[in-house]
Parts: sequence; structure tokens; C-alpha cells
Amino acid sequence: MVAWLVRRLAASIAIVFAVVTITFFVVHFAHGTPCGTADRPLPPEVCRQLCRRFGCDKPLWVQYVKYLTALAHGDLGESFGLHRPVADALADAIPNTFTLALAALLVDFALGLALGIYQAVRAGRFGDVAVGNVALLVNSMPVFWLGLVLLLVFGQWLRWFPVGGPNNPVLCPHVDSPYCLLDFLWHLTLPALTLGLVGAAATARYQRAAMLDVIRQDYVWTARAKGLRERRVLLVHALRNALLPIITLFGLAFPFLFTGAVLIETVFAWPGMGRLAVNAILQRDYPVVTGAALLTSAMVVLGNLIADALYAVADPRIRVRGGGGSA
Amino acid sequence: MPTARPRAGLTLAALACLILVAGCERPVGCTGEYCGTIVIASGGEPDILLPPVSEFAITRDVTDQLFLKLADLGLSGNTIGDEDFQPQLAERWEWDAPTTLVFHLDPRARWQDGQAVTAADVAFTYDAYTDTLVNSSFRSSLRQIAAVTTRDSLTVVFRFRQRYPEMFYDAVYHLRILPAHLLREVPRDQWRSTAFGRAPVGDGPYRFVAWKAGESIELAADSTFFLGRPHLRRVIWRFTSDQQVAVTQLLAGDADAVEVLITPDNVQRACADPKIACYPYKGSAYGYVGFNLAAPGDTTRPHPLFGDRDLRRALVMATDRERLLRNVFGDLAKVPPGPVSQLWWIWDPEIRELPYDSGQAARLLTRTGWTDSDGDGIRDKDGRPLAFRLLLPTTSAIRRQYARLLQEQFRTAGVDVQLDEVDFSLFNERARAGRFDAIINTWNTDPTPSSGFPQTWTPAGFGRSNYGRYDNPEVDRLVDRAVTSAASRDQARRAWRAAVETLNRDAPGIFLFATSNVSAIHNRIIDVTIRPDSWLALLRTWRIPADRLTDRDRVER
Repeated sequence: MVAWLVRRLAASIAIVFAVVTITFFVVHFAHGTPCGTADRPLPPEVCRQLCRRFGCDKPLWVQYVKYLTALAHGDLGESFGLHRPVADALADAIPNTFTLALAALLVDFALGLALGIYQAVRAGRFGDVAVGNVALLVNSMPVFWLGLVLLLVFGQWLRWFPVGGPNNPVLCPHVDSPYCLLDFLWHLTLPALTLGLVGAAATARYQRAAMLDVIRQDYVWTARAKGLRERRVLLVHALRNALLPIITLFGLAFPFLFTGAVLIETVFAWPGMGRLAVNAILQRDYPVVTGAALLTSAMVVLGNLIADALYAVADPRIRVRGGGGSA
Repeated sequence: MPTARPRAGLTLAALACLILVAGCERPVGCTGEYCGTIVIASGGEPDILLPPVSEFAITRDVTDQLFLKLADLGLSGNTIGDEDFQPQLAERWEWDAPTTLVFHLDPRARWQDGQAVTAADVAFTYDAYTDTLVNSSFRSSLRQIAAVTTRDSLTVVFRFRQRYPEMFYDAVYHLRILPAHLLREVPRDQWRSTAFGRAPVGDGPYRFVAWKAGESIELAADSTFFLGRPHLRRVIWRFTSDQQVAVTQLLAGDADAVEVLITPDNVQRACADPKIACYPYKGSAYGYVGFNLAAPGDTTRPHPLFGDRDLRRALVMATDRERLLRNVFGDLAKVPPGPVSQLWWIWDPEIRELPYDSGQAARLLTRTGWTDSDGDGIRDKDGRPLAFRLLLPTTSAIRRQYARLLQEQFRTAGVDVQLDEVDFSLFNERARAGRFDAIINTWNTDPTPSSGFPQTWTPAGFGRSNYGRYDNPEVDRLVDRAVTSAASRDQARRAWRAAVETLNRDAPGIFLFATSNVSAIHNRIIDVTIRPDSWLALLRTWRIPADRLTDRDRVER
């Protein structure tokens, strides 16, 4: 098990390193400079001075070595556009993206699992078909479009939810009271729902298929034959095995949530990593782009590691094989 | 299953409570004339709140509430002489000599940490703005000022290199006076990342409260402000990355103001709302198709097509600019009479320009040898088709729309145009290097043509903003006369007009649009005056009457 973990960790570091390297070179080849924004480029003399300061007048390989050296010391560099350390900018944004991703994950899996089980139990009947079609519809919607629609309907027309931002800047600039916590959750609802709904539609389809596979197996019939209540049969005996493919999906949900967050954070003015990265890309602010890529790839790799670990927890056969391998 | 329904009910009830509790605002506290809160939805966020090192318009909006100038532009927008300028930090000024300007600071002015604002702050500010280490982009605007010295703690002297019409404007417009006692110790090459820039201390009508990166900036009124207490006690900018979201926030009541509605659709949406008041004002941008007069990548040779003045003139006359403008902007822009923004005081619809005359354009093309000899619909000469590539950035929806319309319009004139839509940084790089045939470009301008025009339409801008390398000594002479030696505003206006008309005759570009702006502001806010060069310049005079205050205005924290 330890050897397996070490191998996985080494592979993970290699993946993150590769992502950082590719991002570094791609962004540099895309003419990244500290010379102002798209609509207001800085005067050439200012640009030259900044380039000297940021080292972009040096050969690319020198910049790369300098970047890796700094990275090894935990220094992600300084943002061209934000005029502050990249680490500070990311530290401001990460909690917001995490909160959004976790809330979306909650919506995604709670709703997806419930709908998948419901569909499996009623397979072929009206409820199954109706939920399946709605899930397909939602799943095929572009996430930013769904966000705009929800924003328009629940924000502008019905005014049930606020239009963007993480809080009411007048009443609750900081989450420092229960009232402001509620305000924060109120602001979180629409973006989390948008991101979670699209994920839930996919999760439901996976869960339905997995559940259908399981509930036809002998041990489930045995459980029923023993006189257990249907609810216990489904939720205790069948669901545990039906969760295995969903755990894989959980690992895959991380990249989806992070990439989805890029669009959703823009639509809902959510100050997370996605919006930070989008603005940085538009400004060719490559220290931020590379820092965001580093962090996102680390998150995705971590998500997959967690998924693998959960897989082992949920399926003893995998644990045994993994243990055997490491012995 | 007996408990399922009550549990679902409880969940719904909890959700309803959540919405109810979170949705309610707490009406408490403030009453009277000085309670207003304005929330401004903004499509951009400042990079740093230190005026010399930022070029963003949103930075200017925020810092103009924090830092005073010595004097500021009046509503007339007249940048010549000093008669239309309003005192700010300087209570008065006089000319000691034709090139010596003396400002007397208002003794009541204080930094928000309690220190007095002194002449030393002004001299320090000038020094910082012109320091190559700070490398402010406003440095070139101050090149005619030879020195700034102090006479006593409240008197500061500006000495100019020569006498010219906009001396006063140059002395006051770009300099936001900075606190020397707080910035003197900061190394100049670190100004772009100094902590002061994220929590500044100013001397303006508002003081800095908080900046939450990616979310908002909050300022609070300085109730002791020496030029009069601001009526709105709190100003909050909410940042979005999307203009549509900003407008939606306004319509949903989550914000009170949006600077520019940009599209006709947004104007229609916002101005139809009875709670919103719309304020049109002159825009500072103009857009054009610029012809490259030099061969792409080789400035020593003329462009094979656009080196020919007659061909350029024919293309200008073949373009129905009015129709293009209606298609793209509706009423939100005007066809400019040359490379001129509406903001400039030299704007004059009577300036002579080439008319739209497709017949004359066709005759001119034929006369210069461009005919459709092979009947393929594209004119040609010596076996070479009349074709060129038009460079534009993918980031601008307006320019992309224009490009397609122009492509179609030129096609009917027998000209084949291919579009080069590239990423903005590549667009910039190619424009500066002159690697294009023609370009669709936009310039945002200062209130005066004196800085922008020479940079874009005379050899002073070669390698910089004069992308097409337009060069006519007669235009240079007229511009120089307008900038340096006109004795009055009328004389300057005549020189500018002659310069623009001469340029129009050369047709170095097709001047497509000059934007008009419309701001949308909640109608509980009254006494709104917008100065076109800086829409929030007069924010401290805006107010909300006591009987129109909402809970948002009254709430205390």
C-alpha cells in the first residue's frame, strides 16, 4: 500500500510538473508581457522597464529555470496585472472557489444519487423516463448559459436571489455574524445550483446504470428474501456496490467543477480562481496563469488520489489487490 | 416511509427561512441628508490605487475620490488657459511670469491621517510622476514642466520650458497629489506593488475603507472634507467580469449605477426601467480603419496599395459610414469628422471630409487603372487583384461587426477584403511593427487633442501609436501651431480644423465612429452631474434626499 501511494504521489508530482511546464511555455509563446491590458497597453518605455524587472527580456529557458527555482522556494512570482504576489492573489481566491466547488459537489452528488436511485427503482416507468429526459436536457446545456438563465429568472425577474457576488457589500462585507453567513449562503445558492445541476444530471445517469446492475444481482434478491425492508435493501445493500462507479465520477468531478467554475465565476461575479484565471489569460498575466494552472492541476490530481483511496475503502477486492501489490 | 413528507416539509421551510432571513435588509440608523449609499457595478477592477502607476479608467474613478488635484477641469471641458478650471487643493493661483505658475494651497486641506497637505507634497508628487523608476505613463504629459519648487509650506511654483496654450492643463490634470510623508520611504522601483496602493491614505472627499480583491472596494465620506461634506456617505464598487451582469445587477436592484451601458440593447433595457435614470454624455473613443502607408514590415518602402493617395480616397468615398454606424451602434455613436472623439472641444461637424459617393469612388478607381478586367467582380490592375487584409482583434465585438460590414461594402465596390482576426496582444504587436495592410483600431482619448493627435497622426508617433506611418509636414505644422503657439482657443480651433481637413484630404483612414456614452443611475440619486472625461468627478455633489432613502442607505454596520 505504501509503495502504491509513493508511486501515485510521484506520478502526481510528475503530472503537475508537466502541466506547469506546458502552461509556462504556451503562455510565453502567446506573447505574455507585463505591458498593460488589452484595451490600454502601456507605453513602450514603461513596458521595457517592467520587462527588465520581471525578466521577460531574458531568454525563455533562463526565465523557465528562474521560475522553477523560485517555485521550489514557494515563490509563485508577482502578477503583472494585479501588482501583487501571485500567492496572495491565489490565497484570496482559493477559499471562494473551494466553497463554490464543495457546494456544487454537494448538489451534484446528493441530487444525482437520489435521482439515479429513483430512476433505477422505477426503471422503464414514467418517472424514470421523465427524469432521464430532463437530466439529458440539463446535461446538454452549456453551463454558462444555464447560469445566465437562472440569473435572469431568479435574480432579475423573481428577485429571489442576488445577482452575483459573494455577499451584500453594504450589509455584509465580511462573514462575521450568523446573518452574514446566511447572506453568504444566499449568494452561493445560484452559482452552486448551476454548477451542481449540470453535474447532477450526469451523476444521475451513471447512478441509474450502476444501480440497475446491482439490484438484479443475487445477493440483493437474497436480502429481499431474508425479509429486509426494501429501503434497507436499496440503501444499505445495493447502494454500497452501486457507488463504485460514482466514486470514479467523484474523481472526475474535480476537473469539471474547476473548469465549470471558470465560466460560472465569471457569470456570477464570484471572486474565485476561475475568474482570476480568466482575467489573467485576457491580460497575458502569465505568472497568475501558471500559478492557477499549478494549483488546479494539483487539485485535480488530489481529487483523483482521494477517489482512488475511496475506491479502496468501498471495494475490499481492490484493497486486497493493492495490498498484495505492495507486499 | 411515514417520516419522508414531514422531513421534506422541514427542509423546504428551512430553505424558505434562509431566503427570507438572508433576503431581508435591516432598516436601522442613519437619517437626514448625508446617509446615501451608492453601489456601482463595474466591469473592471483597479490594479492598484496609486495614480502614477495605473492607467485604468476604473483606478482613476476610485482615486479621484481619494486624491485631489491642484485644480480640475470645468464642465466646459476647455483645456486652454486656466479660466475654466475649478480650484481643488489650490485655493488660488497666479502667473508670476509667462512660464511661471504659482499655486497657493488651501490651508484647510488635510491628509486623512491628520497631517496637513503642503507644497512639499506637490513637489514630491511631480518628482515621482517624472521619475524614470516610477515610469508613470503620464510622464510624457509633464515634459514641458521644467521644475516644481516650493516657496513656503503652502506655495508651490511650476516653471515651464516654454509658453503654450495648455500649460495650466498639463500642470494640474494628470497630477493627483500624493502624501510625501507616507511614500517618501518607499523605493521608487517598488511603487507598483507597494502596500500603500492597496490601502491608500488620501486627501479627497472620500477615505479608503476596504478592498476585497475580485469583489469590491468601499470608500466612506470624509465628513470633515474642506471643500464640503459629500452627500453620499458610502461608495461601493462591485466588480464583475461581464458588462451584462453589471447591467443585470442594476436592474435587479443589487447596484445603483453603471458607468456605460455600451450596447443599444442595454440602453433599451435599463432606460425602460422606471427606477433608473439615464444620463447621456460625450464619449472619449473613436474608431477607424487605418491604412498602412508603408510596406508591411518594411517602413522604407510605400505600401503597394495604400501608398497611392487616390486609392485611399476612393475607399473612403466607397464607405457608407452612416449606415455602418446605425447597424452597429444605433444612436450610441456619431460618424466623426476625422480622427476626433466627441470629448474633444475641436469636435465640429462642419469640418470638411470626403463624402460618401460610391459613383465617384468607382470612377476614381477606374481612372487609376483598377478595373474588373476578368469579370470576377474584383477589380484588378496589371494582373493583380484589388485585395488586402484587414487586421482586427478578436476581443472587440464591435470591430468584428464593423469588419464584416466593411468586407461586404467593399466587395460591392470590387475590392476583396480578407479579415485577419487575431488575439489582442498579437494585434498590438503586429500594429506596432506595421505588419498589416489595414487595421480597425480604436483610441480612447484625453480631454485634449494635444497629446493624442500628434502621437497617432504625426511622425512623433512612429513606432508607437502612428501605426500606419501617416506623415504630412503640412499637418505637422498645423498641429504644432495649435499645440504650441495659438494665442486663443479660437485660434487653436482654427489650426486644429485645418490640420484635420488636410488629413482628411489625404485619407490615411476611414473614420468610422465616435462613441456616445449613457450612464444608468438609480433615480433616488439626484443632482447627478456627469463630466464627460471622468464620470464620477463630481460624485461628492450627488445626493439622495432624506425622503428617498432606502434601507440600504440607512443601514449602520
